[in-house]
Amino acid sequence: MVDQAAARPVPKVSVYVDTAPFWEAAKHGKLVLQFCKDTNQFQHYPRPVSIFTGSRNLEWREVSGKGVIYAYTVIRVPGLGLEGRLPLSVATVELDEGVRILGNIVDTDPDRVSIGQRVEVRWERLADDVRYPAFRIV
Amino acid sequence: MAKKRDIVIAGYSETPVEFKSGRSAYDFGGEALAKLLRSTGIAKSQIDGMAVAAPLSESPNPFFPVYMAEALGLSPKWLNYSGTGGCSATGGIARAASAIRDGLCETVVVLCADAPSTAWRANYGAYRGEFQEPVGVQGPPASFGLLMSRYHHQYGIKPEALGKIAVTQREHALHNDNALAKFKKPLTMEDYFNSRVIADPLRLLDCVMFCDGANAFLVTSEKRARTLGLSKMVYPTAYAEITNLHGDSSCPDITETGFSVIAPLIYKQSGLSARDIRMFQPYDDFTIAVMMQFEDFGFCQRGQGSDFTLGTDLSRTGTLPLNTGGGQISAGQPGLASGGLNLAEAVRQMFGEGGGRQVKDARNALVTGIGVVPFARNWGTSAALILEA
Repeated sequence: MVDQAAARPVPKVSVYVDTAPFWEAAKHGKLVLQFCKDTNQFQHYPRPVSIFTGSRNLEWREVSGKGVIYAYTVIRVPGLGLEGRLPLSVATVELDEGVRILGNIVDTDPDRVSIGQRVEVRWERLADDVRYPAFRIV
Repeated sequence: MAKKRDIVIAGYSETPVEFKSGRSAYDFGGEALAKLLRSTGIAKSQIDGMAVAAPLSESPNPFFPVYMAEALGLSPKWLNYSGTGGCSATGGIARAASAIRDGLCETVVVLCADAPSTAWRANYGAYRGEFQEPVGVQGPPASFGLLMSRYHHQYGIKPEALGKIAVTQREHALHNDNALAKFKKPLTMEDYFNSRVIADPLRLLDCVMFCDGANAFLVTSEKRARTLGLSKMVYPTAYAEITNLHGDSSCPDITETGFSVIAPLIYKQSGLSARDIRMFQPYDDFTIAVMMQFEDFGFCQRGQGSDFTLGTDLSRTGTLPLNTGGGQISAGQPGLASGGLNLAEAVRQMFGEGGGRQVKDARNALVTGIGVVPFARNWGTSAALILEA
């Protein structure tokens, strides 16, 4: 677990759809994503319906947290919520379950990260009871 | 289907692009309207339709287009409000053409005005606070850094190609009186390579800068235009747009853009092909977007954008004149009035009013729009318009 003492804003939960299961699972170090039960596919970010069928026959399922870096950048200029975090590694991670998620790559020099590397989830602590998914190279 | 040549753009206007002007979208909109009335000589009372772009600077007001009509003293019988960002201008032309054909109105002003460098009031809300911003992806540069990285992984980017786009457009901006004053100095390839990387591999000089400004277009039937005594006009002969390409897929190829779907549609409607395009005025929020459009519009194959850019004369006297007013990257991006900047330049050129940057035989133009940067993809809406003399 990485401690984030800096003033990194804690996300407000369930602002546009019910995302409470995601954040509740995160507290226990589990990554759960929306799953379309009609087509057996994951989707992320969470939506009000299945992007595959338009139905609301969705549930939250745990994923392995393992995947591969699909796209990668290093943010090098200051911005809101970036205080003390630069240079910041940002990746689009394609999880083994066939779904993509944005996340930071931690524990590795930003210049040694590249597309195609295998990663696994690593939880960052934003507050006592709020954990946020990041990834580390494996 | 026969090519439609019944509707025309019979006038355009543009304000200078300013940074932190201290003025509002209403004030810029008023300036653009006044200039449009003056240049066309028509009376305000003859406008009975209006298409308005949603601006960042007034976005908390859901009734912005009505307020704008009120501010301008217009009483439109048809009012359209677009939330597709940089596609609002070209999209506004197409929607106005449909409304005129449907008999809902006769004479439309398509108005794009925004002042985000003075007042940024947008809040995208939705998923961003939970799943994007905590990762540090606050704005378009990080998203375009990700997109460029993937493009480079699949096809390779030659940075001197992106530099050439920046340098060429800057040279064009030097001849544009409306371009942001700060950008009125030449740019060299050395300057490009010396500009700092802000989100690898994206450099500062690959990006636009948010500014303030407005533009306006007069759309009517050719018949009506002639009745109004207007003689300069261009025909929007093809338009297509798509939003949320691959919206039902979790893992699409993000190097494939909406333009790959709409390019064949506009070529079919107009009967033109890439080799017939006289000038290209693409939406240019980032240099990579220009390069990817060379590919998706068939000027070259997918992945060949760097070589095509380096091997083609993109200057105003070249084989494919590119963003001849400097584009947004070198004239400044007037917020979400941005799509009208590229469009105004195309109409200006086709009216023969390009002055020191006039393209010879400006018989047609391809103008595009890009709207919104979505979650981990390329962009939300892609729009393309072909204008013919």
